[in-house]
Amino acid sequence: MSKPTADWDRVGDRFYRKVKLYDEVFDQELELENYLIAGAPYSGAVALYRDEDRIHTYRGAQAAKAGIDIYSCAGKLIKHINWDKGSIKGLGWSEDEKLLIVTNDGTVRCYYDLQGDFIPFTLGHGAEEHGVLSCRFWSTGFVALLGNNNLISVINYHEPRPRLLSVPPEQTVESWTLIPPADSLSRSVEVLLAIGQTIFVVEAADVQDTGLDKGPFRHIRVSPNGKFVALYTEDGKVWVVTSDFQDRLSEYDSRAKTVPKDMQWCGNNAVVLAWEDEVHLVGPNGAASKYYYDNWVHLLPDYDGLRILTNTICEFIQKVPDVTESVFRLGSTHPSSVLLDAVDQLALKSAKADEDIQLIRASLDEAVDTCVKAAGHEFSIHWQKQLLRAASFGKSVLDLYNSDEFVDMCETLRVLNAVRFFEVGMPLSYEQFIRLTPEKLITRLINRHEYLLALRISDYLRLPTDRIHVAWASQKVRVSSDNEDAICRLIVKKLQGKRGISFEEVARAAYDEGRARLATELLDYEPRAGKQVPLLLSMKEDGIALDKAIESGDTDLIYHVLLHMRKKLPQASFFRAINSRPIASSLVEASAIDKDTELLKDLYYQDDRRLDGSNLLVSEAILASSNTQSQADKLKLASKLLADSKEYTTHRTAIDEQIKLLKYQETLERELPPNPVATSGVTSPGATTDSSIWKGLSINETCFRLIRTGNSKRASKLSSDFRIPEKTFWWLRLRALVAKRDWAEIEELGKTRRSPIGWEPFFNALLAAGNPRLASTFIAKCGNVVHLQERMEMWVKCGMPVKAGEEAMKGKNLRALEELRDNMVGNSEVYRELEGMVGVMGRR
Amino acid sequence: MAPLVSINPADLAEKARRDILQLLEGVRGKKNLVIQKSLSGPLSLFVKFSTLQEYGVDKVFFLENDNVDTSQKNVVFLARGEKAHNIYAMAEQIKRVRRDSQTEHDFSVFWVPRRTLVSDQILEESGVLGEASILEYSLYFVPLAEDVLSLEYNDAFSDLYLRKDPSSIFLSAKALMTLQEKHGLFPRITGKGDNAKRLADLLLRMRSEVSAGDDMMSSGNSILGLTPSASIESLIIVDRKVDFPTALLTQLTYEGLIDEVFGIQSNQTEIDSSIIGAAAPQSSQASSSTAPSGPQSRMRKIQLDNSDSLYTTLRDSNFAIVGPLLNKVARRLQTTYESRHTAAKTTAELRDFVSKLPGYQNEQASLKLHTNLAEEIIKHTRSDIFSRVLEVQQNMAAGADPATQHDNIDELIARDVPLRSILRLLCLESTLSNGIKQKDLDIFKRAIVHAYGAQHLLTLSALEKMGLLTVRSGGLASINPTARGQAANTYTNYQTARKNLALIFDEVNESEPDDIAYVFSGYAPLSVRIVQCILQKQKITSLSSQRGGTPTAGTTNATTGWKPFEDTVRQIRGATFDEVQKGEEKAVKARQILSGSAHGAEKTVVVFFLGGVTRAEIAALRFVGQQMKEEGKGRKILICTTGIVNGDGVIGAAIEEKGFGGK
Repeated sequence: MSKPTADWDRVGDRFYRKVKLYDEVFDQELELENYLIAGAPYSGAVALYRDEDRIHTYRGAQAAKAGIDIYSCAGKLIKHINWDKGSIKGLGWSEDEKLLIVTNDGTVRCYYDLQGDFIPFTLGHGAEEHGVLSCRFWSTGFVALLGNNNLISVINYHEPRPRLLSVPPEQTVESWTLIPPADSLSRSVEVLLAIGQTIFVVEAADVQDTGLDKGPFRHIRVSPNGKFVALYTEDGKVWVVTSDFQDRLSEYDSRAKTVPKDMQWCGNNAVVLAWEDEVHLVGPNGAASKYYYDNWVHLLPDYDGLRILTNTICEFIQKVPDVTESVFRLGSTHPSSVLLDAVDQLALKSAKADEDIQLIRASLDEAVDTCVKAAGHEFSIHWQKQLLRAASFGKSVLDLYNSDEFVDMCETLRVLNAVRFFEVGMPLSYEQFIRLTPEKLITRLINRHEYLLALRISDYLRLPTDRIHVAWASQKVRVSSDNEDAICRLIVKKLQGKRGISFEEVARAAYDEGRARLATELLDYEPRAGKQVPLLLSMKEDGIALDKAIESGDTDLIYHVLLHMRKKLPQASFFRAINSRPIASSLVEASAIDKDTELLKDLYYQDDRRLDGSNLLVSEAILASSNTQSQADKLKLASKLLADSKEYTTHRTAIDEQIKLLKYQETLERELPPNPVATSGVTSPGATTDSSIWKGLSINETCFRLIRTGNSKRASKLSSDFRIPEKTFWWLRLRALVAKRDWAEIEELGKTRRSPIGWEPFFNALLAAGNPRLASTFIAKCGNVVHLQERMEMWVKCGMPVKAGEEAMKGKNLRALEELRDNMVGNSEVYRELEGMVGVMGRR
Repeated sequence: MAPLVSINPADLAEKARRDILQLLEGVRGKKNLVIQKSLSGPLSLFVKFSTLQEYGVDKVFFLENDNVDTSQKNVVFLARGEKAHNIYAMAEQIKRVRRDSQTEHDFSVFWVPRRTLVSDQILEESGVLGEASILEYSLYFVPLAEDVLSLEYNDAFSDLYLRKDPSSIFLSAKALMTLQEKHGLFPRITGKGDNAKRLADLLLRMRSEVSAGDDMMSSGNSILGLTPSASIESLIIVDRKVDFPTALLTQLTYEGLIDEVFGIQSNQTEIDSSIIGAAAPQSSQASSSTAPSGPQSRMRKIQLDNSDSLYTTLRDSNFAIVGPLLNKVARRLQTTYESRHTAAKTTAELRDFVSKLPGYQNEQASLKLHTNLAEEIIKHTRSDIFSRVLEVQQNMAAGADPATQHDNIDELIARDVPLRSILRLLCLESTLSNGIKQKDLDIFKRAIVHAYGAQHLLTLSALEKMGLLTVRSGGLASINPTARGQAANTYTNYQTARKNLALIFDEVNESEPDDIAYVFSGYAPLSVRIVQCILQKQKITSLSSQRGGTPTAGTTNATTGWKPFEDTVRQIRGATFDEVQKGEEKAVKARQILSGSAHGAEKTVVVFFLGGVTRAEIAALRFVGQQMKEEGKGRKILICTTGIVNGDGVIGAAIEEKGFGGK
């Protein structure tokens, strides 16, 4: 076994290692130099696209056919995507391995799995006229640079909303890059444009000139953590500055005449320059190391390092992790290094093993920890085992040690080695795996159709397996050539009873594949009613969809289905569909009331719901308040609707009366125009705008106002025309006259022999209106209707306690009289008078 | 182990607050906020306008006013996504702003409580879906007090009973699911009413869907969370429809009367400042509303909640004793204040006194406020019309022949008493005695149309649709209740209910109440009696046997459910149900082991009022809770509801506001 330090290189005071991941990656025939390459983060897939600007050897019609090839890192072709949609200006990946392709005219296609299914959208904002020049991607979004230097950002692919950033100056952009929202100070995407001598920082809301003067910068790159920016100047120097352009950290002179083909970060500490077959690794403080290759190289940056891809090999360059360095560095005295040695000695059955242990006894647990961690960072299975063996040996010596990390690491390494296997081709480093999370790794495996591996890993790591099953089943219905019953049986057998299985998804896949019957069958196994609705709709099973929506109880879903059906179906069949489902029809009614009264009218007509139909017309009449004639017409219609049925007679009479009232009020408007004196200060109900003071009043209110304005004759006529009950009419008269303060008229009224409402209301109303004198005249008229006590109280209320006393005397109630007297202690004059009466009565 | 934690309303408020602020923070820079009117109240319960400003909100507009201006680049909408007309209004405004403005705008829409398919569909049709970034603000329960959670969904009542739109049932189910996910399943779901049954079915259904759900990543603890809760004893669902009369009666508690006279929205009431005096600048009652401070009228907003300790003692008392209570407090305050001359001898004592001053001043201010309020209410309750209305109500509740009350109602109509009061009386009669005779009803209808206008033909139809004002259907039903009641359960037989559940309580003691009947001065709300049938079986049994009701067999043990009141409850309209939710055996065992220490802790009973609850009922339920505490049952009641209602609101759902004159 080769020494682990064999591929290490010293750059300044640090070590970098170049791990060979795979060889014989691509076919030797493939002219890699003629391709543009983009690699997905976290050792994901690689997309190749032939550079249109280069001449290439003609290899027959087949090879000339344009297309994008997706390979694994080990060079296994995953998918070939045919491409005939125009020139590609941006090719990139998102964090979750969606492939984004941006064309010259601003069309974007987002390939969400690795199997060629995509969602298209367009950039807009003038992308079509000016053309897209290039794009830069980050983990969840991208920015496109247009021909007129406008920048358009898309911050998520779930619901892409292209937004125009601030417009930078319109000069040639030498190079550009961006700082992702998560790393920028403003928490929104910032674009760095190298224009002329300087760099502009472009945000959503403003553009800043950083004021640099060493340009033009041929390359500009931001480090993975967003803190540093590397710049390549015209004169072959690399500068590293902080991303706020305040501090210059290091400088390196490449002494190269030609501008490098590419410049990328390798982790957060080193920058890699690449010419055709030469690579410079520039560490901090300008230290550098150079590598030479046989073929054209491509750089694929990743979070913690950089992959180099040539025709023959795929390599990973990264800074040697600190733990690995302490274990393996030549001459290291770190306890972990000693522990590793001890294991070697143990294998040789040498006593030196024990000596080693004794030597590091004090820091043994640190040594074990370090070995465990270093094992994670190791790509060679041999050294992983060796390190774990060392850790295990150290552990056995320790009395107390928490083995959780050791166990976790063993599991993780098993998974990592499994996915690094060349047929899978995902050379994840330990750090990448932690950042990617196991769940996402599973998703990636599903996208590669590695179901068995995904299932094994999920079981091994105790993750849910539902998605894998669903994906498997969906794929099954897509490609299987068995008959549908067999497929259905197979799927149900495997999937039923498992938690969280979405049969709806499988059914959708079946439907999309044109297997409608299979889809329906599968859908029956979906336990969530709501989930079934959208698919049922697209399957044109509207009725079932509506039933399922109702079953789910979610009104939103019901509305959704109804809106859909309303648009699609002729009215008659729409009504037929909702008639048998009361909830659906009440929802239609509820929503149509705001928007669509015509629909309602038809609905009511169809159902023979006369009262509802008539009510609808009444409410239309109310709304047509500016035009009395059309109001009357609508009311007439409303009345006619009810004409045949007996049960609505009251209702109908009321409508007819309203028509009559409207006409009558119209005459009143003409004959009794608003009188400013009469109306001012009126606060009675129905005090409306000056244009119409009569219209809109109810019958009682009209009557009230007539009396109030001194038109008693008309009022009486109205009351008999509309058959206002006598009691009501008297109340109206009383209230109106009091409001008018027409005391004389009230007195006149009081001369009537009998009042249908009694005289007490007169007393109360007058008293409340502040006329106790007149009020008192009604006390006597109340006569025997009210008790003596109450009559006395009435007198007192009118401020006539003496009269109350007389009342008591008349009623021969001494006790009440005495009580009254006692209450009047404050008023000596009255008191004396009452005292007198008490005396008189007492004597009797 | 979340399921062990009992429900804490303050946590819900804190979460709601954090969520909205986080959403606002997500929109960079200054922004104008356009909010649906009915959401501003709930929002003001947990976030102040000044806080919104800190998060970049420049101006606040109401969605209904359609007046958002173009002053800010960012425009944020906050609205409920269930109702189509909201969505249309929003689409129109986005279009208008886009048309009017010279500059480009960024629109954000926060749907409450969830993004709906319909909203997407409508926005797309209007061509604005691509313009706005759309997010959800999952606001369900808002705590109104330590023991009251409300959805503050004002449309719930009219939706359920007038339009038969079950949106609010679904919303309630979702909200209750959030509780279940956090605190575990309700071990038992009992309830009354057809809609309540639907809600319970939905809850069971959602539970099975959650366990079939595919998003296990997000709800990792739901597997454990969906075992029966250790902190919740049961859920009791009461459909408002079961007991309309209680909602129609005039509430006689202090808080209830404030609601009747001035109206309370989300713990706030607006009162003319001539009554209570202008707001003192540093007064603790001065709430900072989220409403735009437009031309501030003379109305002053008063915050009514338990931060005001005086209000806490007053709110649930019968109004009859509020006067004496206020007196007592006034006297106590005076003595403490005067004692400063005698007590404060040394500087230490003086310091002590000064440190108490702020609290004292607050108390003083609150005393002044409530004295003024009480006086204003007394003015109202002393009026002839109020007492007349109350008299009719009480007679009807007590079971007097409704025909004897008709003259009174006729007179009230002739005297132009507000329509709502009249309709409350008529609906009360109808709901109590299973409809009004056709002849009488026709006369009343005619009188109402004469007095208040023909537009109320629509009002009357709506009331009929809601089942509030109906024609008595044949004599048979009222004579032989079991014949029909058994089969369809479409109406409540109040005759038997009054007797068996002791609804009428003549000798009520208002200052030291011994029964919930104190909240209506002699009438015990049926809805709360139903809850008592589950929680206080012995009490109800003894009450009804005193009154010579059908003696209910046997003594009751600790079993919950309807026993032994099945027969009584069956005579009340609506479905009756009782479901037990069990968890998987293994999980239950695990829970038992884990919760071993939590035994004997106070358990919560969640009482959910579907369609709204009145403040008087809340007071009555609090009284029940208090009684149970005294009995040492170790249970507390958490009241949840779709919203707070009162009689005017119930009627208001039906009233046609526009007249023929085009007002």
